[in-house]
Amino acid sequence: MIDCREAVRRMWPFLDRSLEPHPTEELETHLETCKRCCGELEFSREVRGMVTTTISPAMPDELRERVERLLATVRDGGQGR
Amino acid sequence: MDVRIEEVTTAMLEATELPDGTARVAPDRPFADVVHEHLDRLYGYCVHLCGDLTDAEDLLQDTLVRAMRSFDGLRDPKAARTWLFTIATNCARDRWRARGRALDTVPLEAGDPDDDFSLFTTIAIEDPFPYSDELHLDFLRLFGDEDLHTVFAAMTPVFRAPILLTTIHGFSCKEAAAVLGVPLGTLLSRLHRGRKQLERGLWVYAVRRRLVTVSDET
Repeated sequence: MIDCREAVRRMWPFLDRSLEPHPTEELETHLETCKRCCGELEFSREVRGMVTTTISPAMPDELRERVERLLATVRDGGQGR
Repeated sequence: MDVRIEEVTTAMLEATELPDGTARVAPDRPFADVVHEHLDRLYGYCVHLCGDLTDAEDLLQDTLVRAMRSFDGLRDPKAARTWLFTIATNCARDRWRARGRALDTVPLEAGDPDDDFSLFTTIAIEDPFPYSDELHLDFLRLFGDEDLHTVFAAMTPVFRAPILLTTIHGFSCKEAAAVLGVPLGTLLSRLHRGRKQLERGLWVYAVRRRLVTVSDET
């Protein structure tokens, strides 16, 4: 039986689907009886969601154009060099 | 910047030709196609690793140069994403080292000061929105893109990188461990500490910017 501290430790890997089956089972068993950790898990899901959706810097057009030109150069095998 | 572009171009062209000027035998997928598929995410990773747009551009270009030079070593096209992110991580590590800093330094502290911190509990106790039915969600709604960037940039790099790879870029923990060149257990530990540091960072940011009113500034 794991305690709340260990349950919290496993939550992000659990949400990432990276937790192994046995630790997952232990976490789920803990959640069945711990309302606080259920709240913490839902909140973790929201924090992860926020981080995932809001942090994605767009590439500046000018940089993209330069990289695209370079990639086109390679694709063409250096023609037009 | 033009010099750097020239360097990238030269590296790319060198890699497509043999010394006698004849073309190399093309791999199954051309380098340009592989890079193109992952370019946006790779750039985002560079920005978050550096925390600075100019540095990120340089890091992206370092990554492309090194990737082009070792492209022949990429045997499995499905591994391209992990391969590119690993190169970007190594390039960042080298850049940091050249500046006398280290990407992988774990702060020497007695224990983890953030380990016992719970943002969930802190919000519940401090109750910054007394009339809210969605206390925790309302707290998260305070944060726009720029706020989150600021909190992220303030994190210790060694704890930030695992979150970037797993949560933002969708790598499994095993893949992220491979990209960072650390054992899985180390990755999991750093991921946990990063998460705790992020949670504390969000709270401290909200308090300092007076986005929430609390009884005692934590």
